[in-house]
Amino acid sequence: MTATASTAAAARTSRQLPASVMTPPAPSPPPHLEDYKKIIGQGQLDALRFLARDLKGKTIKMVNSTAVGGGVAEMLNRLVPLLSELEVPAHWDVITGGNDFFEVTKAFHNALHGSSYTLTKAAQEIFLMYNEQNRERLRFDEGMLVIHDPQPLPLIRSREANSSHWVWRCHIDLSNPDANVWEFLRPFVEQYDAAIFSSQSFARQLPIPQYLFYPCIDPLSEKNKELEESQVQKICDELGIDRSRPIVTQVSRFDRLKDPVGVVQAYKLAKKYVDCQLVLAGGGASDDPEGAAVLQEVKDAAGDDPDIIILDLPPWCALEINAIQRASTIIVQKSIKEGFGLTVTEGLWKGKPTIAGAVGGIPNQIIHKLTGVLVHSVEGCGFQIRYLLTHPEFAHRIGVSGREHVKENFLITTNVKRWLLLYQILQRAKPQPSA
Amino acid sequence: MPTSDKPRPRKPSKPFYFNTSEHLLRIGRQKAATLPELLDAIKTCPEGSIFQHTFRTLQEHHFIRQGFSNDFAHWSLSACNEPILAEQLAGVDVREFTAIGGLRQRMAEIVDEFLQAHPQSNSHAANEPFYFCAADTLVIPTPFVADSLRAFLDGLKRVGVHSIHHHFIEARLRLHLMSNDFSQWLEEEIGLPHIADSIERIDIYTNTMEGVRQQIARLVEQAVN
Repeated sequence: MTATASTAAAARTSRQLPASVMTPPAPSPPPHLEDYKKIIGQGQLDALRFLARDLKGKTIKMVNSTAVGGGVAEMLNRLVPLLSELEVPAHWDVITGGNDFFEVTKAFHNALHGSSYTLTKAAQEIFLMYNEQNRERLRFDEGMLVIHDPQPLPLIRSREANSSHWVWRCHIDLSNPDANVWEFLRPFVEQYDAAIFSSQSFARQLPIPQYLFYPCIDPLSEKNKELEESQVQKICDELGIDRSRPIVTQVSRFDRLKDPVGVVQAYKLAKKYVDCQLVLAGGGASDDPEGAAVLQEVKDAAGDDPDIIILDLPPWCALEINAIQRASTIIVQKSIKEGFGLTVTEGLWKGKPTIAGAVGGIPNQIIHKLTGVLVHSVEGCGFQIRYLLTHPEFAHRIGVSGREHVKENFLITTNVKRWLLLYQILQRAKPQPSA
Repeated sequence: MPTSDKPRPRKPSKPFYFNTSEHLLRIGRQKAATLPELLDAIKTCPEGSIFQHTFRTLQEHHFIRQGFSNDFAHWSLSACNEPILAEQLAGVDVREFTAIGGLRQRMAEIVDEFLQAHPQSNSHAANEPFYFCAADTLVIPTPFVADSLRAFLDGLKRVGVHSIHHHFIEARLRLHLMSNDFSQWLEEEIGLPHIADSIERIDIYTNTMEGVRQQIARLVEQAVN
């Protein structure tokens, strides 16, 4: 290969991003409940309104540890206005703390995910001290208090003798926690009326009821709303994606647990038999040294293949991600470890045949060969890419079922319903006085 | 011109109230990592868990036309790689049961007989455990109430598919009859036993719930017209 050809190939595998994506767009106004009617139907809207009617006058408070960034804040931003629109006013408070608090909670988070950790007395004291400060600062007058994740767990000490329902919403995988951290936190958890997990496998044996709330996507968000064909084409043109040939896409951070190098290898196995392009769209390489290293590994694995398009996108590129997913022939999420895998949900929602690693919450979304395809290896992934590209009827059928699966289980409107149902169920178990 | 001898619909003395049921999934205490553990748990789990993994799972997967029957069958294939057992479990039609006890016994018999015939399968560990769940359920009304066959048809076409599941599939556990709410009303209130019978024979395992709705609607339309 000549020097000029080599430079051109390198440029193709490490795309310069267009100026249009370099600055964050203005946020869109949040949708209203009625906007969801065309997606979920009048029957489901009626059910939401009926469930809310019985809770009229009741209030909900959500408490978490961050107002921006992360899936929990993103979800609360959408959930809180919808509950309020249903006349079940929802408030959202964010706990505060110093760097020392968030260092401790980050360590707890990793330890609960199974990393080894030495729990010190000092860490416990920092954790409890900031929670005491927040307990004094916040009010807990609402009928149902929902505490998200471990950071604010000790707020349950404010429970007193009032009749509020206290619920712990755990978004993380507790299947294999550090024993010391879990034993420190467990007495707080056991004081709640109920705990909620994102997967059956994330739960613990507890003396309180445990419910399953799947994470969800908003079908009207920038990342998931319907797009005009011309908009998809424009974004693909800007990013240099050729829509005249099959496109296989993985959207994820440049993180080894997402196995982007394995995706490149699987693509190369498939490419021996079928023509296709690979798009790896993600982020995390610019502000994370490990992400930058993974990105380099991906580029090395891609070599000079002009059909591998690597896009290190800024975090606000939801619309671009939406367009890339919609332009794709197949979506891949070949994770080695995964929480729930909302990028899988996004792909399924767009009706795309989806291939994903059988890890974390992904098997809840992909019923093998019915709503998508589960794989366990690079070779399996490569074969399924080949198979789906050469069997469009089967690919179409699982794409259609995958979208229906999301519509039934993983949309924000379903989660609104779950919160209303939970409130009603707790209310029946322990009635509160009328407002 | 020959005269039709099909029965004429009569005015019902009681309207048909279209309801629906909403469920919140509760994670149970039991899980199984092998087939013998599955058998033990099927025998001892709360009735709500048997309901969840058979009747309810059909509602959750109402959009799948074929290949999904119940969670026990699905797990036997996907996690245990036991296609014979999976086919046997998938062959159980929940509509043959008017109480959970009978359904539990049938599922347990199938697993028990399979393990006796295939002793090597006793010790195989599943790829992933089976988690027993149950649902907390609320029955809620819809805006649709039918005081005539035409209004029934209109409601049938407009309610959500959860309502169809509630009246057509879950109903037999409420009624303790080999029937469903639609057939009961059409026979007792409208005087159309042949339509009621045809509806009862619709195959739920080769149809989506939307397909079931359309088949019921076609049968009722014949009577309306």
